[in-house]
Amino acid sequence: MTRRHSGAWLGWLFAAPAAVMYAVFVLRPLALTVQYSFYDWNGIGASTWVGLENYTRLFTEPEQFATILHAFELILFFSLVPVLLGLFVAATIRGIAQSRLAMVARTVLFLPQVIPLVAAGIMWSWLLSSTGLANELLSAVGLGRLTRAWLGDFGTALPAVGVIGAWVLVGLCTLLLLAGMSKIDPALYESARLDGAGPVREFFAITLPSLRQEIGVCVTVTIIAALASFDIVYISTQGGPGNSTMVPGLEIFYLAFSEREVGRASALAVVLVILVLACVLPVQRFTRDGSR
Amino acid sequence: MAALACAGLLAATACSAPGSDSDTPDTAGSTGAVATTCGSDPVTLKGYFETGFPLPKQLSDEFTKQFPNVKWEVREDQFAVITQNAPRVLADDPPDLMRLPQVSELVKDSLLKPLDGYAQAYGWDKWPASQLEQMRVNPDGRRGDGPLQAQGLNFSMTGVFYNKKLAAQVGMTQPPATLADLDAVLQKAKEAGLTPIDQFNGGATGGLAFPLQNLMASYGDPAAINDWIFQKPGATIDTPSNLRAAQHLEKWIKAGYFASDINSQDYATMMSRFIGGKALFMFNGDWESGNLDKQMAGNAGFFLMPSQAAGGKQAAMSAPLTYGISAKATHADCAAFFLNWVATDQKARDIAVTVGGSHPMGPSDAYMPAVKEGTVTAATLTAGATIGKDNGAMDFIANATGAIYAKSWTPQLQKLAAGQQTPAALLKSVQKDYESQVKG
Amino acid sequence: MIVTRRETLTGRVLLLLLMAITVVPFISLFVTALHPSGTYPAGLSWPDDPQWGNFADAFRSARMGQLLLSSVLIVAGVVPISLLLGTMAGFAFGHLRMPGHRIGFLIFVLGLTLPFEGIITPLYYQVRDLGLLNTRWAIILPLVGLFMPFSVLWMRAHFVTMPDDLSEAARIDGATTWQLFRRVHVPLARPALSSLAILLFLWTWNQFLLAIVLVDDPAKRTMAGALGAFQGQWGTDIPLLCAGSLLILTPTLAVFLIFQRRFVAALLQGSIKG
Repeated sequence: MTRRHSGAWLGWLFAAPAAVMYAVFVLRPLALTVQYSFYDWNGIGASTWVGLENYTRLFTEPEQFATILHAFELILFFSLVPVLLGLFVAATIRGIAQSRLAMVARTVLFLPQVIPLVAAGIMWSWLLSSTGLANELLSAVGLGRLTRAWLGDFGTALPAVGVIGAWVLVGLCTLLLLAGMSKIDPALYESARLDGAGPVREFFAITLPSLRQEIGVCVTVTIIAALASFDIVYISTQGGPGNSTMVPGLEIFYLAFSEREVGRASALAVVLVILVLACVLPVQRFTRDGSR
Repeated sequence: MAALACAGLLAATACSAPGSDSDTPDTAGSTGAVATTCGSDPVTLKGYFETGFPLPKQLSDEFTKQFPNVKWEVREDQFAVITQNAPRVLADDPPDLMRLPQVSELVKDSLLKPLDGYAQAYGWDKWPASQLEQMRVNPDGRRGDGPLQAQGLNFSMTGVFYNKKLAAQVGMTQPPATLADLDAVLQKAKEAGLTPIDQFNGGATGGLAFPLQNLMASYGDPAAINDWIFQKPGATIDTPSNLRAAQHLEKWIKAGYFASDINSQDYATMMSRFIGGKALFMFNGDWESGNLDKQMAGNAGFFLMPSQAAGGKQAAMSAPLTYGISAKATHADCAAFFLNWVATDQKARDIAVTVGGSHPMGPSDAYMPAVKEGTVTAATLTAGATIGKDNGAMDFIANATGAIYAKSWTPQLQKLAAGQQTPAALLKSVQKDYESQVKG
Repeated sequence: MIVTRRETLTGRVLLLLLMAITVVPFISLFVTALHPSGTYPAGLSWPDDPQWGNFADAFRSARMGQLLLSSVLIVAGVVPISLLLGTMAGFAFGHLRMPGHRIGFLIFVLGLTLPFEGIITPLYYQVRDLGLLNTRWAIILPLVGLFMPFSVLWMRAHFVTMPDDLSEAARIDGATTWQLFRRVHVPLARPALSSLAILLFLWTWNQFLLAIVLVDDPAKRTMAGALGAFQGQWGTDIPLLCAGSLLILTPTLAVFLIFQRRFVAALLQGSIKG
């Protein structure tokens, strides 16, 4: 009881430095983003209050709105592919998870997580260029007519950016899911096998339900990566060709710093922050239900 | 609860609208007394140059040799990056000397130091007026007259480069005299299995603007195009003759006269392919003349875009290699002294021609270095005389506003190249963007 | 465990395939870096005359020494400050549990999903008004703020597991709260701290957006930001670009390979908690 009393408010003294940094460099800018979004301001001169105009433009101008749609399309590649592929691979290699090969794989599959996304962008721009390895492989297997400059083609540029993201994230997802699987009681599998269950039934009956939390984590991390993508697009396509790979993060950067439409950039930033929360919170709720 | 905290913070900041405490940089000094020297104390000039072009670097090195108290601190970026950074850098990290993109908006925001004071002191106002016209900007951003806001390191000339060996191979013995002749050569090159035109159009740089503007001048009046670029009231790019030009370009695209991966081809790829003998033509400027004379010695030729009828007037994009001084520069006087030196010093003029490939700035009777016959450099310098005679110099359509290239021409031309945009809609869309940008 | 041989085999093949896909871009980067500067090598072809000198050229043109120093300085700023502040706050929220700690913690947690783009615009003007633009502080201070939610969450998760008895015992010996924190809890938190340090190091080193917006001089940026500038400047020379990229990758790769076990564990835990 005495402890509670003497130290009751002392805790805030400990939390204060972190709170100050957080308030000054995160909460204040966040509040200012909201404020700027109601103004027409070029970042240098005076500003004019425009109410919701920046938001209406965002939702009525097709080019602007397309950036948000692109971000959602990227979710397919950044989230769906790594999670599904990760599940499949993890389930398949579960049996050999302790082998030396799997140990090496742990290191190798992590490489994309360790390097800057910028580097991933540079590597893949080169692989996907018209003279790159991707086209060389296609030609080698007799699919030469499919070759193209993947990042410079209207139909393939966005998926190609998605492939880069998938490459970065698939290793992380695989290992996360594998780690989750190692926590499942082996007895469950033993008894399933004795009941004559094949790998497929085993996967749906045991593996998938037990991985709820890990899947939730993968989905959360990858969705944020997709919606807030910037580095890869900035390096590999700059939003082109046309505006076919323009994403919110890059558009905010262009609007704020090269077109100097600070108000419109801020409106898009607010929408982006809300979108991320709207996508991530339901996933969190869904996964927490079972586990806590 | 967090929302409450945010609201509290907002309340604390919302008292004032953003940017209301504007500190307008001092522009009054421009007409006042200026020093026409770098002095003798050590000076470090902060430069921001364009990557891939050795001219500014060589000039600054030579300058340091002649004026050892002046050192340079140079940052380099590709032009697209400079375009993005320009307003921000000029306002918040002011360089003394900077390669400039389109200047209208920079002037509107008073980011550049007006140079009229220097122009008087150095006598730039006695140079041929056409040299400085493109860098005169009204305070409202309209170009063509008004205070001088920037200066050139030289002024460039654009047109069509060709590979002489490949030209002989398809039977082109002399430059095409009409647009129809050019079309015929392109078709022959295509049939011979060559890439007829090597052009960049990838990333943030829509290089099809080069052939498009050349075609526009072939079909119409270059003066009207200049009016549009200079933001003359009522000017439009969406004219019948420009439409025919855009349709002509589309015809070239559909006929397969460009490489199929044009939308991912950047400038450097274009150069490497042209130098490597992979294409017959390339729409480009004389800033590459020195380079081509070195790397394709004797094998590169140049001609101006032909007009509709043989012997008709010719036009070309010709613009100063624009450099400016930030309104907040620390060593503005020294930077201006450098700009004057570039135009008047004999050694500097030599470098402007041999390294830069273009005509130096300066008085019309100034020293000109001798250029070897038969080189591309000689051909482009001669072309300059033709353009002067025909009064056919145009600025670049990409320079009409600060954002028109990145936000309109580039994506639109990339769509045109991919068959996703029609010529008519392209011009309409560009004009619409232009109007909102000029107004805004 | 009952696993059929066929399953083991498919597992191995699949794993090898996945590893190959992961590694191929690195190999392509390496092979391309060995081609003569200024050329456009096609696909994965070993050059006739490997240009090892490209690495030296890239090292020189990228001023790699300066870049390394700059990144080290930034990391040396971000990581210790974040660890200290994060641990103190984590201790407060997880162990001291003062009145209102739930709400305080919740406000921090809400920052977890915030994309940096969401605040980059005002951050630029704020940093400019502080007069810090183009200094390393322009990256260090905002990053410390941005890393607070995760650091606090991470350290709180550790302190929540610490039994209260431990503190009671120290209290009886007459320790103040600070001594309790410094002498008893920080030493026990070492594993959690080292994992957090690894994650913060990686995220700082690889930070791109803040670097390109807030600092113009590549020599004062993070490695990732410098790589962006290197691409901006030398992107026209593919072999040199590849050589430079590899050089810039090397430090993180080296650190990763040395501490790989900790790294993998930290990253996996990091994503679970994040």
